Amino acid sequence: MSASQSAVRSRAEAVAVSRTFDWMILFTLFFVVLGGYHIHYMLTGGDWDFWADWKDRRLWVTVAPIVSITFPAAVQACLWWRYRLPIGATLCVLGLLLGEWINRYLNFWGWTYFPVNFCFPSQLIPGAIMLDVILMLGGSMTLTAVVGGLSWGLVFYPGNWPVIAPLHVPVEYNGMMFTLADLQGYHYVRTGTPEYIRMVEKGTLRTFGKDVAPVSAFFSGFVCIIIYFLWHFFGKWFAKTDFISDEDL
Amino acid sequence: MKLIKDKVAKLSFVALLITMTAAMFYTPTASAHGEKSQAAFMRMRTIHWFDMNWSKEEVAINDTMSISGKFHVFAGWPETVDKPEVSFLNVGIPGPVFIRAGSWIGGQLVPRSVSLELGETYDFKVLLRARRPGEWHVHSMMNVEGGGPIIGPGKWVTITGSMSEFTNPITTLTGETIDLEHYALDNVYFWHAIWYAIGVAWMVFWARRPMFIPRHIAMASGKADTLISSSDKKVGVAFLLGTVLLLGGAMGATNDKFPITTPLQAGLMRGIKWIETPAATVSVKVEDASYRVPGRAMQMTLTITNNGDSAVRLGEFNTASVRFLDADVLEDETGYPDDLLAEEGLTVSDNSPLAPGETRTIEVTASDAAWEVYRLADLIYDPDSRFAGLLFFFDEEGNRQMTMVDAPLIPVFI
Repeated sequence: MSASQSAVRSRAEAVAVSRTFDWMILFTLFFVVLGGYHIHYMLTGGDWDFWADWKDRRLWVTVAPIVSITFPAAVQACLWWRYRLPIGATLCVLGLLLGEWINRYLNFWGWTYFPVNFCFPSQLIPGAIMLDVILMLGGSMTLTAVVGGLSWGLVFYPGNWPVIAPLHVPVEYNGMMFTLADLQGYHYVRTGTPEYIRMVEKGTLRTFGKDVAPVSAFFSGFVCIIIYFLWHFFGKWFAKTDFISDEDL
Repeated sequence: MKLIKDKVAKLSFVALLITMTAAMFYTPTASAHGEKSQAAFMRMRTIHWFDMNWSKEEVAINDTMSISGKFHVFAGWPETVDKPEVSFLNVGIPGPVFIRAGSWIGGQLVPRSVSLELGETYDFKVLLRARRPGEWHVHSMMNVEGGGPIIGPGKWVTITGSMSEFTNPITTLTGETIDLEHYALDNVYFWHAIWYAIGVAWMVFWARRPMFIPRHIAMASGKADTLISSSDKKVGVAFLLGTVLLLGGAMGATNDKFPITTPLQAGLMRGIKWIETPAATVSVKVEDASYRVPGRAMQMTLTITNNGDSAVRLGEFNTASVRFLDADVLEDETGYPDDLLAEEGLTVSDNSPLAPGETRTIEVTASDAAWEVYRLADLIYDPDSRFAGLLFFFDEEGNRQMTMVDAPLIPVFI
């Protein structure tokens, strides 16, 4: 067979090869994104995602969506503008959460014995599905950034509340009030994470009484819009084929 | 000859593989905390721990033990370390092998950060409950914001039993008694599994049809609009609505199940009580001090004045949790860790009782392998070559006085 001849001899063979490529690319993409996104999220979200006693109604709600919308925006740009596939955000988040769960279960629990109910990851899938569906329905980066980005920030807290609410039940302990999450942080000793490192309930948002989570979520959503634009452009730029010369094609 | 060479090569390769494999199986537990690596001046010139007591050396799972004692916040706190205005009383253990059941400074529970005053002495206690079997090095520790962890002395404690027997029962303010070790774990797994399944379903919906090559060809040939069908959009809307409904339903159900919740608790605790101690009647002036590198010994020339009404003798020099004792004056009966105790490590040129009103200049030598073992000798490489420590004087009735020393240190290399 010469180089100019086709590698397949029939349409059926071509379809089979194409599907094999699909699975190979999807598999590779999934794990590459898992690795990159995981490192990014650990470095930027870090302790906010690691520990139940960091998951407050102000900064966690604000920071986690902002630093996590990055890879979904970039991968969406590649998969949508190259393949019209509205799965970028979900693919990223599924990869991230798989990596997170492996890390939390094998390292945090299996290696250092922190209970899983103290070090579970944050939930991001509701926002990812909304981001993908909005891109598919609108077909517009601007619409996805504005509506999808805002939604990403807004649904983060409701998506996580069913998991963290049981840990916000109050308890009296040696004459002081704690939440169960605070008590976990106190009981399960972290030598390198002293109490003052926690960024909990800090800030000047004091005029909304106890209802600060929705305000924080709106603020987060607005910043997510900007971050979405930025990372969508990154994704588009990385998905270009300008780096490959015509002779190679 | 070639046959022999080949055989030797093969056997060498096999031996290498066996060695590498064996090395992989040799994974000793890292039980201590690198406390010796912490800069010597951090241990000598910040927090001085003394009167330490570990209530048990062996403890069964679920049983408690305590670390208690006192710490002096050194008045000559180094300029390169932030002041202990935001500090946290911690313990140095390899992860949660114990749970911290309680911690107190000056009788006040300190689950949060505290503000400490320079020059004051505080008593403390940390109550620990055994969780994971093994032999663990248990230290006191003070984390200081902008300064890092300042580790105290450590002692080996053995935990016996099985971790599966550990429970952590807590009664909430809503009247429910739960085991915090496993509480709400099913709930965590349930919601993560539900959402992951929904995410996978969305992926499967798109992955069950040709994905990359045919779609790329269609895009390149201007048929992008054909790639998203109206039924795709209907399925997308169903996923969107399903997500919103599930979010709303889950929020409502959760609020019904847990109507009483509170925000995370945080804050800085000020006004922690220190120990009111009478002013020392023994004054000490450091005339000079040197560290003799080859001899692993620190020598000080001290001028001591006894302004009290009873004769005193120097019994102990304590720095960086290493205790140098003059065996004629003081014998340790507290079970202090051997590696941190130089029972005969303090030599005084004239340690006869110093009478009231008397002033005497003495040569004091603190020598022990601990200078090297605990890397205190590295203080000669510190940015501010000074030493500090606690001197303890005793009268005939055993009454004790504590005095701080803080002075420049000159290394002697030859």
